[in-house]
Amino acid sequence: MADQNSQHTSFADQVRAIPGGEHIEDCYACGTCVSTCMIQQKKEPRFNPRRLLRMVMMDMRQEAFESPTTWLCSACDLCYSACPQEIHISSVISAVKELAVEAGYESPLETVSVDEELCSGCGVCAMACPYEAPRLVEKGTNGDTKRISEVNANACMGCGICVGACPMGAISRPGVSNQDVRAQISLPEANGHPRMAVFVCDWALRVDADVALLESYPENVNIIHIPCTGRIDPEMALQALDSGFDGVLVCGCAVDECHFQRGSFVSSFKIRLLNQVLGEVDMELGRIRFIKIGTQDRGRIRSEVDDMLEHLSALKVAS
Amino acid sequence: MVDASRHPKVDVRTYTEVERVEGFVGNFKAQLREKARFVFEDRCNGCGDCAEVCPIEVPNYFELNIAPRKAIDVAMSQSVPLVYNIDMDSCIECYQCVEACGELDAIDFSMEDKLVWEDIGSIVIATGFNHFDPSAMTEYGYGRFPNVITAMEMERLNNSAGPTGGNLIRPSDGKNPESIAIINCVGSRDKRFNPSCSNFCCMYAIKNAVLLKQAYPDMELSVYYIDIRTPSKGYEEFYDRARKLGIRFIQGRPGLITEDPETQNVFVHSEDRDLGRVTEREYDMVMLNQAAIPQPDADTISSVLNITQSPGGWFMEYHPKLRPLDTPTDGIFLAGACQGPKDIPSSVAQGAGAAARAGRVVHSEEWEIEPTVAVVWEDRCISAEGKKCGVCVRACPYGSILYEEGKAPEIVTAKCHGCGGCVAECPHNAITQLHFTDAQILAQIQTLLADKPEEKILAFRCHWCSYGGADLAGVSHFDYSANERGLRVMCSARMDADFIYEAFRLGAGAVLFSGCHPQDCHYITGQRVGAKRAKRMLKQFERVGMTSGRFRIEWISAAEGDKYARVVNEMQDVLDSIPEEELQEEIEKLQPYMEKRARRMREVPQIEEAASFAEKIALGHGTQDPAST
Repeated sequence: MADQNSQHTSFADQVRAIPGGEHIEDCYACGTCVSTCMIQQKKEPRFNPRRLLRMVMMDMRQEAFESPTTWLCSACDLCYSACPQEIHISSVISAVKELAVEAGYESPLETVSVDEELCSGCGVCAMACPYEAPRLVEKGTNGDTKRISEVNANACMGCGICVGACPMGAISRPGVSNQDVRAQISLPEANGHPRMAVFVCDWALRVDADVALLESYPENVNIIHIPCTGRIDPEMALQALDSGFDGVLVCGCAVDECHFQRGSFVSSFKIRLLNQVLGEVDMELGRIRFIKIGTQDRGRIRSEVDDMLEHLSALKVAS
Repeated sequence: MVDASRHPKVDVRTYTEVERVEGFVGNFKAQLREKARFVFEDRCNGCGDCAEVCPIEVPNYFELNIAPRKAIDVAMSQSVPLVYNIDMDSCIECYQCVEACGELDAIDFSMEDKLVWEDIGSIVIATGFNHFDPSAMTEYGYGRFPNVITAMEMERLNNSAGPTGGNLIRPSDGKNPESIAIINCVGSRDKRFNPSCSNFCCMYAIKNAVLLKQAYPDMELSVYYIDIRTPSKGYEEFYDRARKLGIRFIQGRPGLITEDPETQNVFVHSEDRDLGRVTEREYDMVMLNQAAIPQPDADTISSVLNITQSPGGWFMEYHPKLRPLDTPTDGIFLAGACQGPKDIPSSVAQGAGAAARAGRVVHSEEWEIEPTVAVVWEDRCISAEGKKCGVCVRACPYGSILYEEGKAPEIVTAKCHGCGGCVAECPHNAITQLHFTDAQILAQIQTLLADKPEEKILAFRCHWCSYGGADLAGVSHFDYSANERGLRVMCSARMDADFIYEAFRLGAGAVLFSGCHPQDCHYITGQRVGAKRAKRMLKQFERVGMTSGRFRIEWISAAEGDKYARVVNEMQDVLDSIPEEELQEEIEKLQPYMEKRARRMREVPQIEEAASFAEKIALGHGTQDPAST
């Protein structure tokens, strides 16, 4: 299945021919890309860009197409800025993926789906998506044609930024749908104040020690896991306050290090806007805060959470 | 250093910069700036009383700013000569030092820089190298995390004469570290900063690890590397010894360093390639083996001495294999890491070699140079007639042509290397090159194209590269067209436009203009002089309607025999693709144009006349005396 049009050109040549796939031979296998990438540490132990490049060079077509590296790279490009050979690794991976899709392989990721009934065809999802996965198409439903969004499952990385952006609530993915996220918000029964909801993206806390640190806070700190802060919609934060929390902390990647390219930027913008609106109705008391954790900010989560708790306690006393 | 300073025949000038160098091999004149120390060298006895009373402390650059020095101080206790100096940028002029100096009276605040001229026979450059500043690599956190230090800082911290007296402490809290990570290739083998390998860091990573292990047997030491390079005698054995001592070698270049904000311990994130997974290891301290880079003032030195630099900025040797210690300017030699990163044994070897080369110049009564030098035919030079010209001066890569308006230029024979650039550039054929006179080359062209010229490919090859390329094509038995006829000149700069016109006038089928790649040119910038001319001609020929491919420019190195054969074969293909009558027609059509262009060729001095120049030079007329030291 994979070798149909390749009798004369090697796999490496095919990859090189795709813009972005050049320079693979520059790789001297130092492993920098692997050490900067968090997918291997957090999701998939077999993920290894260095080995994928090697598979390309050694003509291991099928293994490359089946490798999780081909499918899981979200092109955050942390590896590119650190690569001493200046290889744009995510472009090489995307070239391999392009060939894999051509050869009939499909993404193993769980991707978003659009509810055609609810979709109004506004196109916000297409603007929000970093991967150009959704696009607007004319589609016939009940004898009527309608402009709706259609998602390319091989391009979708499952970040959920579109889910957070959709004004109609028409897009969802198991695990990141509105119900799923809301199910994680649970007001602690114990009377410990201040009560705080922390939305944390799966990637911002780079080291296990920081994840454990956050988990170690007492019950009054409710941790809600989301794939990317871009998934958040402002309503969620308001609902959390409404249901009895004293404050909401949203913790995402540094803007230029976002695992899904622009999720962190989108959400930090949303929170700023929300605070502005709250300010206009005299409710802006710093109850909703967005913090960005960079790759080198080991241990910063503790000071940020402590700081917020202190701020909320002070508010409590003042009111 | 102390021995050198005491030697009766060695004159050590410290705190002195070379401002200008004039002249030529054996007869240089150098202008030196002796900077003001504000302390008399002949009175100061190095007692240090002045530094003791000085109230001003500034960072000590010798200790990499880890320790202070006084405004009046010596960089280190082993300084030669042991003479104090005042850093006027920080001195507050309280004059306590003057008082402390007392009867010696060695301090003089009115001292000024002195400019002196010295006669110099030969010059050795041994300016060494500098260190890459790793703070440019934000991922390693140097400058942000106190316990991430450079190899040189470690060198001072672990030195018994260093600021801590050899007590190795970590900067954040002064505790003795129990574990240290050493990271190789910081800024080297890195296209973002320095693409080349810094040569010696593998060995000094091992050396430092072994030294630390010997001093602190319980210390945990890991060396992170991409490849360990131990290419010299005994090096691999040393690497073996380090592994036996329990030093860990981890193959995998770290992509990130983080710090625990409380303990200020550092975590190194790297792929352990042997395990095939990412590891995050905690250390008390990290040492970065930063890249070796050229000195920041290498550009200034290269322009003062008229020597070249390789693409990385290191000084360029004349020939990597045959003349590794010489520069393109005769009488100037290279020693040590200024020519490229190298370790101590290589630097010492090169230094001894350079000293021997330099000694050869100083001890020679006479200096032999290549006989292919350029000579001016004064009565043809339009400058001598009072017209503005000076084209030859601009073509000379060595600055060997002295030009004054209204006079014929004078060529300093001792500085001429015989590329022939000025000869070919001179619009009035007023300069000739011995052994490569216009008449000689013309005779060769005529002979090579005597029979069936339209079938021939006339190839101009430079002596150093493309001639070697053709040679290699031959000895490698690469097939190429038998219609090729080669003609050797010293440099593509010598490939006179007139030669090309003449070849086409005689009806040559195709002409190849070939020389070195620009960075390999044997005559510094000779190739560029030739390339500019050839590109101009290519455009002209296009304009007058010559079939493209009949005149071709190619840069072929002596290692590219395959390329030489391919180029010639491609040119043969071009000739084969033009029908015979059409080619004949084109040659005839272009003949008047070529005739007009090549007109001056027929007025050049003939071989016998040109030969008389050689006698003139032998008698020492019209040129400077090349060597007397």
